[in-house]
Amino acid sequence: MVYTRKNQRDLTGAERRKFVAAVLELKRTGAYDRFVRTHIDHYTADGEGRRRIAHMTPSFLPWHRKFLLEFETALRRIDPTVSVPYWDWTRDNSPASSIWREDFMGGNGRRADLQVMTGPFAHSAGRWTITQSMTDTRYLTRDFGRPRDPIALPTAAQLDEVMRERVYDAAPWNSTSATGFRNALEGWASGRGNDRFRIHNRVHRWVGGLMLGGGSVNDPVFWLHHAFVDLVWSRWQQRNPGAAYLPAEPPPLGDAQYRKVVARHEPMAPWGVTPVSMFDHSRIYRYA
Amino acid sequence: MIVPRRVALRSLFALAVTAFTGGALGRVASRPEPGGTRDPHAFDEVYRGRRLLGFSGPGGEPTVLVDGWPLHLMRCADGGYVTPIDHYESCPTPLAATRAAVDELGTARLSPLAGAHGVPTDPTGGSPRGVHA
Ligand SMILES: [Cu+2]
Repeated sequence: MVYTRKNQRDLTGAERRKFVAAVLELKRTGAYDRFVRTHIDHYTADGEGRRRIAHMTPSFLPWHRKFLLEFETALRRIDPTVSVPYWDWTRDNSPASSIWREDFMGGNGRRADLQVMTGPFAHSAGRWTITQSMTDTRYLTRDFGRPRDPIALPTAAQLDEVMRERVYDAAPWNSTSATGFRNALEGWASGRGNDRFRIHNRVHRWVGGLMLGGGSVNDPVFWLHHAFVDLVWSRWQQRNPGAAYLPAEPPPLGDAQYRKVVARHEPMAPWGVTPVSMFDHSRIYRYA
Repeated sequence: MIVPRRVALRSLFALAVTAFTGGALGRVASRPEPGGTRDPHAFDEVYRGRRLLGFSGPGGEPTVLVDGWPLHLMRCADGGYVTPIDHYESCPTPLAATRAAVDELGTARLSPLAGAHGVPTDPTGGSPRGVHA
């Protein structure tokens, strides 16, 4: 049975409560922190001699699609009526947006230590202790808009520009790919100042705190952000039905990306699924 | 140069991490003697109250400690570096990346994960800890 992922702004109060309750239950059992760890363990940068599957790489999108599905499956084992809502940050683009309300994601970090003090994921609420992190801090942190060097969320016009790309990805298949939908959406760019942070990357930057680093999954808004990234990819697929995942074949010996990226039919750790198997989600979920 | 006791102890910790990760921090204890060859990745400064120590790792790669705790520097294709604290800003030098991480640290100190995350061995791209943790 195909289920629906909704815009978080359209959730009823009961739907918000059920989503939060399922996430808190996953946290209680320890399963949530294993998701955090999976994301940490699969971050590889593209100047190193190692295979990249999750970031700075063509499989950024299918890897995160599978990661979201695994999380959503775990949530739906707790409550079959729950799905991962998405956060359209081109529209709900302010600290005053309803996503940050007390009954949902909670609000910004406080000035002194960036500690989130409101909502169900505040450490002070007693059910959200960070265990898998790059620091010894045990509470969720956020730093909306980075006040000391302000940055805004991506705009609809900037997202339209991404949607104009016509091929899935392009050589050199990394953060320096100048064309292709994947890197435009992932958001690596050269240039100066805040122009270097685009679309997906820029949202991590805007939320700040734990969302900025390897432990970004510790902030539940991670899932809502990536659900929207996945929706954007899905819409792009609809508009470009002939645009298959690239690269189709593994880069050959002698290519700088030899054994560093995942080609169309190669397995992605830790699940072993291929990018091509993640291409069509229409029999599992749809976006409202 | 006199290494503060706390840093020396943390360096021992770093060497323990080395044994665990396969050698990312091997030359903690062998920074060059005065008058010897200058380590191209050497720096030693206090930034926002943190002690930042840079040196070359066993493969010649830049390696840093923040208050004695290893901070994993990841090389990017654009020639810059990202760290586990800030995954989205590629900084031109190891020192710039370390300072950018400290900018985001606030009052926190680094955890062992910050020194060694994403450690590879799985040929499909995963970390050994993803399997054994
Ligand atoms: Cu992300």
